Order: sequence, then structure tokens, then C-alpha cells
Amino acid sequence: MLLRLTWLLLQKDLRIALRSREVFGFMLLFALLCVVVFAFGFLREGEAAAAQVPGALWVTLLFSGTVGLLRLFTAEDEGGTLQLAQRTLAGPHPLLLSKALMQLLFSGVTTLLILPIVLVFFDAALAQPGVVLAALALGLLGQAMLGALVAALLVHVRLREVLLPLVLYPLLAPLLIAGVRATVLAQAHAPAEALNGWLGLMLAYDALVLAVAPWLHARVVEV
Amino acid sequence: MTRLAAEAVGWAVAGRFVLVDVDLALAAGSLTALTGENGAGKSSLLALLAGSRKPARGVVKLDDVPLADIDAAHLARRLARLDHTPGLYLELSALENLKLFHGLLHPSRPEPAIAALLERVGLARRDHDRPVRGFSRGMLQRTALARVLASGADVWLLDEPSTGLDRAGSALLADVLDDARRQGAAILLATHDPALLPLADRQLHLAHGHVVATEAA
Repeated sequence: MLLRLTWLLLQKDLRIALRSREVFGFMLLFALLCVVVFAFGFLREGEAAAAQVPGALWVTLLFSGTVGLLRLFTAEDEGGTLQLAQRTLAGPHPLLLSKALMQLLFSGVTTLLILPIVLVFFDAALAQPGVVLAALALGLLGQAMLGALVAALLVHVRLREVLLPLVLYPLLAPLLIAGVRATVLAQAHAPAEALNGWLGLMLAYDALVLAVAPWLHARVVEV
Repeated sequence: MTRLAAEAVGWAVAGRFVLVDVDLALAAGSLTALTGENGAGKSSLLALLAGSRKPARGVVKLDDVPLADIDAAHLARRLARLDHTPGLYLELSALENLKLFHGLLHPSRPEPAIAALLERVGLARRDHDRPVRGFSRGMLQRTALARVLASGADVWLLDEPSTGLDRAGSALLADVLDDARRQGAAILLATHDPALLPLADRQLHLAHGHVVATEAA
């Protein structure tokens, strides 16, 4: 029942996203702007700084991933549908999961489009593409789930646009640091043993978020 | 038989009570009109009765069970609410909205004839498949009314349901309400519309958070 209702809500969000095109377009544009700003900010004597790729990539994805987060929930609230979507047979979990999946889809597509642009702007190539993509997948998964949770908690709060990054970024810091470190090591052709620790940390972080977020969301919705 | 009852219910905003000791019972197959000036507390009372707010005092019961003890999903299936927001996804069509809500509320129940429900509220077939964002206020209200019909709920809490409706729409609303009452729904209707008042079996008047008059039709 949980999966069926989550799929129903996800289908609805996809249909709305395809028709309105507002969230994804803004996310992509913002990501592109970040890449351009970083590329020019890190220019050294006219040379692109390939060493800055990990930091620029992860911070771009962190910033652009925040753009559409609140919109996922405020769009529900504007039409007066949030409460009904929370009160499904399977409780509030389908709503949170569908929003997290939607965010994962948006940020995943943004990443696939932005990654080649980052490499072009910084004149770099991926040394270990499999490792970098795995780190990105783990990072985006944790960011999507935690981001959806924080956006759900803040949806009725005044100044939520200001509060979202203030609450979310410190919570995402371990994931961001691990993601950047794993990417740095992968770019430096580090052996698997050196990478496993950071990827393991990301995996543990995601597992914790996936376990705690639905529980916490359900408690808050009940209040 | 009483479906929904409020017992000495109170609601406070910033320490000031906007509803004080309100008692109310909605019987199956009845239509109660709730009147009162702006700010009298009608919408607050509806929110308490729907369980979307918790009373500061007193208790609201559905079939003699306090709302706090009822599963939220069960409550959503039993109580249908129509308020100032249409409760619709604006990028979806009327058909898509109603199918979605039915799927969320009754995932294992066969879908009702949704196109027929939309026609019942006077929405022409050509309007069933276009996003409701392009609808007028009256058309949104008709679609929201169809959502209430499609919910299969037996308690209806309606806040100004004739808002935006033309004369034909108001007549249709009266017809729908009368039908629902005959089929056993318990209906509470907060309204300023004098055309709807003759429909009611009973009229409650709220003033300054108190029920000041109860009038049987």
C-alpha cells in the first residue's frame, strides 16, 4: 500500500512538473549559474583550475538542490491539498517518499546535465567515473531525503525560505565533506581502500536518514 | 443518530478565546446551517470539527469516538471538507484531480463514475480534461464540490460553498446538498447565502465565539 500510494503521488508530481516546468527549469539554470561563477572565480592566470572540480561540483549540486525543495511542499499547501495528501491509508509516509523521489529525480537529471559542463569549464576529465558517480548517487539520495524532511517541517513556518538552508546545510555537512573527499581521491587515482572509508560514511549517513526521516515526519505531522 | 458532535468546544488564538463552549450535534440525514458575521468563528469551528485543529477545551466526537482517537486516514474518508481553498491541484484536470483523491482515500475501492460526478455539478465535458488552473472561481467551486461527492464521506463540512457560483450553480448546489442529506449525510454549512438557508433543518448563529441562537426550520 505504501508503494502504491507513493507511486500515485509521484505520478501526480511528475505530471505537474511536466506541465508547469517551473521547478526543474529554475534548478538547472541556478546550477548553470553556479558553475559559471565558480569557473571564473577559480581562474588562475587564465588557466582553469581542474583541482577545484570536486568542490565546485558538490557545492553547485547542494545549492541548486535547495532551489526547488520548498516548492515541492508549498505547491501542495497553496491548493489546500497538503493535509489530504498526508492523510492517506499508509499515513504521511507516501507524501514524504514521493517528494524525496521527485527531488532525487530533479537533482539526478541536473547532475547528469551539469557534470559535463563542469568538466568542460574546468578543463578536466573524470579519473574514476564509476567512483565519482557512486559518490554522487549517495550524496543526492541523502540530500533528497533529508531535504524533503526539512522542507516538510518548515512548510508552515514564517521565513521558511531563509530557514531552509540554515537548517539543511549544517545537517548535510558530513555528506558534503565525504562526497568532496571521495571525489578528490577518485580524481587523484587513489586506491579503493582510501575511497571505501568515505563511501562507507556516505552509505551509513543515507541509511540513518532513510530510517529516521519518515519516523520524524510522521511524528511532526501528528502534532 | 448523531454522527459528529462537539462538546463544550473552545478555541483560543494568542490567549483569546474565539470559540467558547460550543455544543453541536450533527445527525445522519440532516443539514445544519451555521451563520454569523465575519470573524464570528465559523471557519475555526469547522476546522475543529474536521480535526485539522485541536480544541483548547472540550472534545469533538465522530460516532461517539473522540477525533484524537481516530486514525487520520479513516477520518479523511469519513469527513469531507470544502473551505476557502479549492483543495485541488491546479495543474491537473478536474478528472485527474478526482481520480487522484479517490485513489488516495480509497485505494482498494473501484473508482466511481467520475465524469458523471463532474456533470452532476454542472461541469461540461469539454472542461473535464483541461488543467483547473484555467477555471473560474465558480468552476473551481463546482469541481471542489465534485471532490466532496467523490470522497464518499458521510459527514460534510462546507464553508461558504456557494462562493463564486452563479444562480444556476447555487440551485445545483442546493440540489446536491438535498440529495446527500436524503442519502444519510450529516451536513454542516457555514454560509452567508440567504438562498441556502431554507434548505437547512436547523440554523445555528454564532456571535463572538458563542452559539447565541438555535433555530429549527
